[in-house]
Amino acid sequence: MSNVKKEKLLSVSNILIMTITFVLLGLLINIVVFSQTALRYLEDQAQVTVFFKDDFTEDKISAMKDGLSKDKRVSALVYVSKEDALRIFREINKDEPVLLESVSASILPASLEVRAGNISNLKPLAEELKVVDGVEEVRYFEDVVSRFKFWSTIVYIVGTLLVLIFLVVSYSVVIAALRTTINSKGVEFEIMKIVGASDDYVKLPLIHQGVFFGLFSSFIASVIMILLGVGVTLANIFPKGLGLGFLPGIFMPPWIFSIILTFILLLSGFLLGYLGSSAAIKKYLNY
Amino acid sequence: MPQIEFINVSKEYDPGKKVLDDVTFKVEPGEFMFVVGPSGAGKSTIIKLLTKEETPEVGDILFNGESILNILKESVPDLRRKIGVVFQDFRLLDSKTVFDNVAVALEVADSSLEEIRSIVPNVLNMVGLTEKMFKYPKQLSGGEKQKVAIARALAHEPDVILADEPTGMIDPDSVDDVLEVLEKINSLGTTILMATHDQEIVNAMKKRVLRIERGQVISDKKGGKYRA
Repeated sequence: MSNVKKEKLLSVSNILIMTITFVLLGLLINIVVFSQTALRYLEDQAQVTVFFKDDFTEDKISAMKDGLSKDKRVSALVYVSKEDALRIFREINKDEPVLLESVSASILPASLEVRAGNISNLKPLAEELKVVDGVEEVRYFEDVVSRFKFWSTIVYIVGTLLVLIFLVVSYSVVIAALRTTINSKGVEFEIMKIVGASDDYVKLPLIHQGVFFGLFSSFIASVIMILLGVGVTLANIFPKGLGLGFLPGIFMPPWIFSIILTFILLLSGFLLGYLGSSAAIKKYLNY
Repeated sequence: MPQIEFINVSKEYDPGKKVLDDVTFKVEPGEFMFVVGPSGAGKSTIIKLLTKEETPEVGDILFNGESILNILKESVPDLRRKIGVVFQDFRLLDSKTVFDNVAVALEVADSSLEEIRSIVPNVLNMVGLTEKMFKYPKQLSGGEKQKVAIARALAHEPDVILADEPTGMIDPDSVDDVLEVLEKINSLGTTILMATHDQEIVNAMKKRVLRIERGQVISDKKGGKYRA
């Protein structure tokens, strides 16, 4: 195969592999942010619900509520009386009149919804509340949150490994593509040097080529990620916005996240192209 | 002040195998000097040392009174613009016209388009290739190709032209043409240092002859002769 054909083929495969790398990188960042956001949403709603026995009076519940409000682990407390419970029950089952007729406030338990600032405090709180006199039952969704945390960690690890592998492959492909260019233009470079070309005059077009590969590929990946962001926005999956890193309680509009992600991808593209072409020049042009 | 001065220069590519061994000589401005000797004698190494493609292990090389060894990496291109080089295999770009092949030397020095348009026809005129300006190397004879290489070497108006076996790959009929061009350039004041092992050329030209064998200077005679 001629050098020109080889060069074209390598350029196309180079851009393809780098685009896959950056799409994977973008997806990984999306998965991290989306899962962190989902976790924030889950944590916001995670609570311990304490159901009381019928003989545990409202005064006693109020005293218990006062005691819990002084507990630093507790972020919010909501008392749901038997009447409130009936109202909620009616709201949920408004389409089933037969069921509503058979239920009265007296058979529904009063409850206290206890929210923790930190999700890891839910379990000890639940354990403590279970043994309190007058408490019929304690419910909380520890499993859901901890399973979500476990699987999202697995996804982070696998995703990071995939991105790293593709970064190495892309880096090697940049070097291989430039090696072909250097081989096909070897005489030209030699002539340039001998007639007094500066190092930069010979090196810069190759650096530009590498940086072009990186930027073009990361640009394609950015467009794909922006379209994904638009889809998420239109679907209104995260109405409060996306979680900002690992900071709890702070959310950002999806379009800001798209700008940050585009910047990260383009910067990665630039760096990968620049470092790959610099390595190729050092290796094959003895600079 | 000599234009080129080799002072006790030794060079070895492999440890213990000296390609040049304690070589000392001077070349005055405007001189035409042959460097002769058998293949592997060290002729090409002298040219590579002068263009700073290689560095000697021992000794010093002065160009216009300044040591080449002390030149910073960034200043090597400036040195190479003062020393034009012509190779046995021409080293032309087949995809470029004669004009563009010569223009390369000026483009790498960031010359303006006007400069290129004025200098290139001038140097091509000097080597007698005005009419072939827009031909491609494949359309030229060996002698013409070498004249293009000489024109390219002349583009920066160098102080010295180093010619490494410039007649080695051209037909005998064109040899005289190429030598004529080199003599013409020399007569205009440019120093010529030509490496060759062609005794006929050396003996016919009656110039200074520096004979090298096994990396050492065997003789250095003005109007000298060479018998291989």
